[in-house]
Amino acid sequence: MGLSFALLSCFTYAQEVTFPELEGFKKITKYPVYVPENLWDFIDGAADTYLALGFVDLHVVEYKKGKEIIKLEIYHHSNHTMAFGIYASERSPSYRFMNLGSQGYIADGAINFFKGNYYVKLRTYSKKPKILHSEESLAQMVAGTLEGEADMPSMLSQFPDEGRKKNEETYINESVLGQEFLKSAFKSDYQVDNDNFSIFLIKSESPKEALKTATTYLATAGIEAGQSDNGKFVFTDGYNGTIFLSWKENTIVIISGLAKDQAGIADKYTSAILQ
Amino acid sequence: MKRINRRGFLRTGITGAGAIALSPSVLSAVSPVQEKNVIYRTLGKTGLKVPVVSFGVMRSDNSSLCKAAYDKGIKLFDTANGYQGGNNETMLGNLFKDHQRDSFLLATKVPPNTSREGKITDQTTPERFLELFKTSLSRLQMDYVDILYIHDVSNPELLEYKPIVNALEKLKKDGKTRFIGFSTHRNEPVVINAAADSGDWDVILTSYNYKQAYVTELTAAIKKAADAGIGIVAMKTLAGGGFLDRERTKPMNTTAALKWVLSNPAVCTTIPGMTSFDQLELNSKILEDITLNEQEKTDLLADISEPGLFCSGCKQCSQACPYNLPIPDLMRAYMYAYGYSQPSLALGLLKDLGISGNPCSNCDVCNVQCSRNFQIREKITDISRLADIPADFLS
Repeated sequence: MGLSFALLSCFTYAQEVTFPELEGFKKITKYPVYVPENLWDFIDGAADTYLALGFVDLHVVEYKKGKEIIKLEIYHHSNHTMAFGIYASERSPSYRFMNLGSQGYIADGAINFFKGNYYVKLRTYSKKPKILHSEESLAQMVAGTLEGEADMPSMLSQFPDEGRKKNEETYINESVLGQEFLKSAFKSDYQVDNDNFSIFLIKSESPKEALKTATTYLATAGIEAGQSDNGKFVFTDGYNGTIFLSWKENTIVIISGLAKDQAGIADKYTSAILQ
Repeated sequence: MKRINRRGFLRTGITGAGAIALSPSVLSAVSPVQEKNVIYRTLGKTGLKVPVVSFGVMRSDNSSLCKAAYDKGIKLFDTANGYQGGNNETMLGNLFKDHQRDSFLLATKVPPNTSREGKITDQTTPERFLELFKTSLSRLQMDYVDILYIHDVSNPELLEYKPIVNALEKLKKDGKTRFIGFSTHRNEPVVINAAADSGDWDVILTSYNYKQAYVTELTAAIKKAADAGIGIVAMKTLAGGGFLDRERTKPMNTTAALKWVLSNPAVCTTIPGMTSFDQLELNSKILEDITLNEQEKTDLLADISEPGLFCSGCKQCSQACPYNLPIPDLMRAYMYAYGYSQPSLALGLLKDLGISGNPCSNCDVCNVQCSRNFQIREKITDISRLADIPADFLS
């Protein structure tokens, strides 16, 4: 039984996915459970984004009534942040948002939401109000059965509200700003008057790790971490333009999109986050 | 499909590729041209001259990275209606709206809404296809795309389905797309052969890498299509995302993998996904040098010997087992247990399959051969022991 004992120590709990009944619809479960190695078979090249965000498995079912179909997909990710990340990557601020799970929206026959470690997508091509109503009811039922956090990731609350573009926050889990040493970050876009910029918030494992990350980034511009009296840096990233970089303990703040002479704006937001 | 020894294929492939790359007759057949050191090839009958490395944008949300790729000489950018819920097309639209339209090439894909098996259903309508494409153009802020693909064709029936084919032809005639094609990553040899026979298609985007179990058949189909004038673009060239294992601890030689694909002169260009400037720098070097060096050949051979845990489901093993065991499913259970540390998932699958005890215990010798060189009997013996453990003990 060497196998079993070895596996038990690293087994993590995952809720068994069950599909609710939908009155008047026949439930068709002809799909396999998709795993990282065959997710491509289901969503083609889009799979890469899911895999980069801790995809674990996918359960799919169709609800059929006559010729009308509602397709339900439940994507299981490794944690709540990852579930937010994949949800946010497909979200647009122009959608109609609704109180569903942690957050959800409706757009052209699609209802997407996330809750706990799950990202849920429903889709119908029907235009009939009754079918669309059934889809919404199904979404509510699924949200009710899924376990896990029904809030937004707590890190998002650290972004200042002023100028923040609502429902455009994302989570990036690799190569933030295209730099491999910036492994993951929450990102929020801002507009203040005519200035558009982005704030990246990185939570490192430890202050030492944060220092290492910041030092690595500064080194790309030939700057040493000790060259600032106030711990705030502005430099030119050859690919991304002007970068404002600060950190405190294990939190790093990066601002891109502002010019060097807009340090006042960058300082205001950085201070609000790191205070 | 004929069983192949992939190590043997690789040796042949590399040697053959080296010989082909040095052959002037082959070079002129694919019309490569050199401009500022970037190697271009002609995309079949479209006549488009395309650098050998293009950009699969699917998971990049960083327009600075795409801009840097453009500045380095990459011209073809590949996206799809569904990537990042449409945000991928929107990002590219915002980037390229200020660029001269003929300075880059844009390809997108629209799903046909076929069944999971790729069959035509009530949902497979030209109206829906056209509506989705209209949305794509709007997000891209463009009047036309250079290549419009049907996304994910696995059944050749769709290539003959006139409502969709006619819709594509009309879009081409109306100038909404310059060329039409389809993408395929299941049943590729059959689909590509059918397309080569039909004459309707300008471009095929196909998965193609050195680890595919049926790579010999696929290579032959690609050649047939290229000979028929169809431009070939290769995707999934890194055979699983750039790592040899699911835990992403064993990086593969991605340069070698890309060069292997380009060693086939029938392939015009590749669309590796990139998310970092380091990856871009690495792939940019291939723009100017596609010849596999000795180290890259060695790395490819080493990669082939890594069977991994994933059963490709080729079912070449199915006929050989005297007890007709569901071997691909049992390999999946093994992967759940060892690859994902999800023994309860593996146990559930074993129960669904009706496995109890060791189903291999009646055989002294196992004649089942696996295309990925899995030790089938050992794996089944190992995983079947899980069926004797109470489920409560695993959750």
